[in-house]
Amino acid sequence: MPNIRQVAATSLEKFSKNGGEKVSNYVNAAGKAVIAPLIIMNNPFTHEDEESKQWAAIKQPVEAVITIAMQIATLSLLYKGIDKLIKNGKVNFKFVEEATKDISKIPEKIMKACNGDKDKALSTYKEQYNEIFKDRVGAVVSAATYLPVLAISNKVYPKIAQKLVNKNEDKSTK
Amino acid sequence: MKINPLNKITNSELVNKHIKKAIENDTFAAKTLVTINVAKDVFAYGARFATTMNNKEIPEEKRPFVASMDLMSGVVTAAMQIGVGFSLANPKFQDKIWDKTFKNCKFNDVVAAKKGFSQILALIGSTILAERILVPLIATPAAEQFEKKVMHHNPQSKQKKTQSDFYNELNRITFSEFEADIKDGRKTAYKFDTTY
Repeated sequence: MPNIRQVAATSLEKFSKNGGEKVSNYVNAAGKAVIAPLIIMNNPFTHEDEESKQWAAIKQPVEAVITIAMQIATLSLLYKGIDKLIKNGKVNFKFVEEATKDISKIPEKIMKACNGDKDKALSTYKEQYNEIFKDRVGAVVSAATYLPVLAISNKVYPKIAQKLVNKNEDKSTK
Repeated sequence: MKINPLNKITNSELVNKHIKKAIENDTFAAKTLVTINVAKDVFAYGARFATTMNNKEIPEEKRPFVASMDLMSGVVTAAMQIGVGFSLANPKFQDKIWDKTFKNCKFNDVVAAKKGFSQILALIGSTILAERILVPLIATPAAEQFEKKVMHHNPQSKQKKTQSDFYNELNRITFSEFEADIKDGRKTAYKFDTTY
């Protein structure tokens, strides 16, 4: 059986290299789809009627699924586009250019991690720079996707909620 | 020669300083991730609140609670996520958990792994613990109060009165009583207006 801690350790390295935006979206969607409805339905501090709680709870997973599908699709396209621009030299970063000319401008932390290997340090610096830039652009695009997500969700969610709430009502009357 | 408009952004001092700081400082990177997440949430909750209130496909009597839930979740989530996320991004706290959890693990790139750990701990804390557990516990009763006090919608009386109910109640008042009320400045008949 694989050591769970070692699997987590390896995943952390992968996460760090893939940037935070995608993982942030996955964590967000998982929490919204699974935990939020449970808390809304079983909240001891509320006196709202059962049906209203069901409507609010059903909204969460429906929106989470639509959101993550939209974000995966748009971010994949966006990251591919940015990677292509960087690869073709159409996007340059001021501090990376400076570090290419003067190696002392690479952060000490990266130099240490690369055991002083200047070429490796420069490529690591470039890689981390690109990932953070993609993350920041990705965050803006992720926020922008909420508008079409809401438009779709506002159409789809009431239909699903109506069906599920009616089903529960039918069960309770039988 | 055509200049790529993206280069204006990638060559700006502000963007470069920000990216360099995020590379050098793990705590800053984690806090930035939490802040971006909060900003996205606030934007999303605000948009949800506006669209839910106008969504005619949600039954009218359910709309105020669903919308109040969206708005209150947005307000509480911002405060809670920043509080929990920033506390978990604290380097001393992170070092303690790191040492306890990954003491005997092997890493190809321990610096990258530590950065990932710092970000994911802040993210899970702010997104799962704060936003999905603590926020709904606080936001649901807050939404109830908002629905009653600000939106003036009482969930206890969701059964909408019909026009005939209005006339039945109105008929209980005789014309002379009505006249006397008007004379004395009381608004007996008008009190029914607000519920219909």
